[in-house]
Amino acid sequence: MLRRIFYLALLLTLVTLPAALRGQTNDTDGLIQRMQIKVKLYPGDYKAFASLGAAYLQKGRETGDAADYELAKSALSKSLSLLSNDPAAAFAMTQMAVACMAEHRFTDAYNWAQRALAAGSGDPSPWAIAGDALADVGDYKKADEAYSKLTSTFGSADEQQAIAYQRESRVAYLRFIAGDTPGAIQRTNAALQIANELHMPAENRAWTNYQSGEEYFQLGDMKHAEKAYQQALDLYPGYYRALAGLAKVRGAEGNLREAADLYDKAITAVPYPEYAAALGDVYEAMGQADKARKEYELVEFIGHLSEINEQIHNRDLALFYADHGLKLDRAEALARKELEVRQDVYTWDVLAWALYKNGKYDEAYQASEKALQYGTRDAMLLYHGGVIAAKAGKYEEAQQDLMAALAINPHFHLTYADAARKSLSFLTAENSSKASVDDHAR
Amino acid sequence: MRKTIFLLIFLAAFGRGRSQIISTDSRTPAEQKIAWAKAEVTAHPEEPQPYNDLAAALVGRARETGDPGYYDQAEAALQHSLGKDPHNFEGLKAKAMILLGRREFKQAIELTRKLNAEVPDDVLTYGLLADGLIETGAYQEAVDKTQWMLNLRSGNVPGLLRAARLRWIYGDGDGALDFYTKAYQETSPTQTEDQAWILTQMAEIQIALDHFDISDQLLHSALIAFPDYSLSLESSARLETARQHYAQAVALLRQRNKSFPTLESRYELANALERAGETAEAKTAYAEFENQALRLSDTPNNANRDLILYYLSNANRPADALRIAAGEARKRQDIATLDAYAWALCANGQYGEAEKQMKAALTTGIRDAEILYHAGVIAEKQHDNSAAASYLKSSLELNPASEVSQEARRALDMAMAAPVAAAAAN
Repeated sequence: MLRRIFYLALLLTLVTLPAALRGQTNDTDGLIQRMQIKVKLYPGDYKAFASLGAAYLQKGRETGDAADYELAKSALSKSLSLLSNDPAAAFAMTQMAVACMAEHRFTDAYNWAQRALAAGSGDPSPWAIAGDALADVGDYKKADEAYSKLTSTFGSADEQQAIAYQRESRVAYLRFIAGDTPGAIQRTNAALQIANELHMPAENRAWTNYQSGEEYFQLGDMKHAEKAYQQALDLYPGYYRALAGLAKVRGAEGNLREAADLYDKAITAVPYPEYAAALGDVYEAMGQADKARKEYELVEFIGHLSEINEQIHNRDLALFYADHGLKLDRAEALARKELEVRQDVYTWDVLAWALYKNGKYDEAYQASEKALQYGTRDAMLLYHGGVIAAKAGKYEEAQQDLMAALAINPHFHLTYADAARKSLSFLTAENSSKASVDDHAR
Repeated sequence: MRKTIFLLIFLAAFGRGRSQIISTDSRTPAEQKIAWAKAEVTAHPEEPQPYNDLAAALVGRARETGDPGYYDQAEAALQHSLGKDPHNFEGLKAKAMILLGRREFKQAIELTRKLNAEVPDDVLTYGLLADGLIETGAYQEAVDKTQWMLNLRSGNVPGLLRAARLRWIYGDGDGALDFYTKAYQETSPTQTEDQAWILTQMAEIQIALDHFDISDQLLHSALIAFPDYSLSLESSARLETARQHYAQAVALLRQRNKSFPTLESRYELANALERAGETAEAKTAYAEFENQALRLSDTPNNANRDLILYYLSNANRPADALRIAAGEARKRQDIATLDAYAWALCANGQYGEAEKQMKAALTTGIRDAEILYHAGVIAEKQHDNSAAASYLKSSLELNPASEVSQEARRALDMAMAAPVAAAAAN
């Protein structure tokens, strides 16, 4: 769930594409080529440049390649240089907001979304991005207000449904943060139904299925999680998010070989550091230390591949370092840096975890309280919270958090689920052994 | 009306006109846009578009503050843009905005017609053209252009706003309120001046319809959204005048005139002072108004319509009123100008021509108590007592407490009595 907002932001790309671009399945390269030809033929066509920018954003969404975002911004800037004081400019402005979200420039994303709204196009879609930016900076209440504006009485029935899709898929995330995972699943399934009815592009429907899988996984419902990930793969074969999701399920089932294979496929499609870290963990669990080390090296390599990667993957790297007891000073520094621009529960969680690993238990506890302040039913957050609470001497709270983590999903993580059980056994034993509660995973 | 009530409930519950979502940025929407545009100018000084954005933002700031000096700044920004590319479309659109702000309607129409022919699917160009057409009285063409806006992009706010204004002009008050409500709902809460502007337009309609309490709430919300907004203060003063709370009207207009008073707002203050019994100060205010209005009478940014009314209502100089009204009517044939011209003709005993001009003013079917009163008096002067009674009744039905309601009742009594008197004489 950590990266969810990022994905949601990008999803708008195709949902709001002009009619001519809708209904494509997996032809983003073809679309880019057509738009490139169009802007060459008509260098004054603001719509063509905006569509080209949107297509590059979609490409970036599919490949995870930050270079696509640069190309998108360039095309969108050109569009806005041709037309900016007009309701029709709202589309390019909204796409610019999406590009900023992809680069984790949340304030810029919010500002672009506001500029799009100020253009008065009558299309409420920019509220989606404004809400995403607010959610990423941890202002969930205002995000909810923003999402509540995703309604429209104008446009065709399909257009109104597309707006409803944006609202449902985003409100689902807020429900999850608020601790209502069943409610989140309900909203995601509603979004999925709309996506199917609208015959939205396959990648978008696959994404929604993947989200559904993530929510079921959080609930510990492996059967439905697997089904949702599989549906995503049926719709969009080779979909890296669904591959990674399915890998998680296989890992939870103890089928490590298949988990490794699936993670490997996901990394081949899009090399995200979190996938490499997860694959390394699987190899480690399989006793293949050399292979694990290579994957861990890959995590750092990807994280530092470019300036934009460092910006995007700060939090992933901080978590990776903290999880593996590596460069702990750096882990804390990265988490603090991320917190400057992003104050959502997951950034607080990563900071708490990094502080804990650095032995700063009181500070870690305070950060963990922030991470858990909304009652989010995320087993990893609760596990971190439980371990940190124990170190802070809050044994009862620690016990409750760890029990909650395991109750939500007894297989929430390849190694941390067992670690939670061990920690819990210490906590339920005599008081003298409580102080030895620790991160038993590594 | 129901939609306005819903909007009021919405405002009371959530908005009170102030955004719940905006950040702590204390700048006004136009100031923010100016800052964004200036940052873009710094980043891309070779491009024309940042200067266009700056010019458009400065035009917005002119509306926020009422300070016409921003048009000069906007023009300066535009010089940079047009210097880099004299034919850049967005620059020329910004130029049209400046022309409209300076009330140079003829030039604005010429320019936007050209732009419209060049790029016939640009929504805002239709809107700018419609603005010029409305101001000069070419209402049917303005309707056509506004319809294009809504056809091209349904629900776009600039289109809804112009459509609302035209609905009011065509006598459809409920329809106008409906579109204003929709436009308000589609407007981002961060655009506080836009919100205040829409609420103020709605309040003006409610004043005209004798719904003072609703108007009061709308203006209250407008002033929370955008404190000290000159247009909302002017409307608030009109509301207090309608309620015969003249001292409050004076206070509101004094507050409004603290910064960048217009000739119109000076004239309104003079009127309010006179009604409040502050005769000496009113006399001075009228004299200052007349001096400045005469000085600017031949410029586009004149206050000739108020000057005409001043000569007719306050100074008893009907000949001067007619001279100015005739000149103004040659330039623009909008409802307010034609009404002022007709009223001046009537005051000069030229009833036939007055009737002709008044019929032209009423072509769209506008529902305005004061204009209908004027029409009633002119009809009476033409001995058309039936028409006079009809106009006067309409005026009183529309707004029984309008500024002209007492005169309208007297005139109606006379119009009703005239046939009886004539019959008795026979």
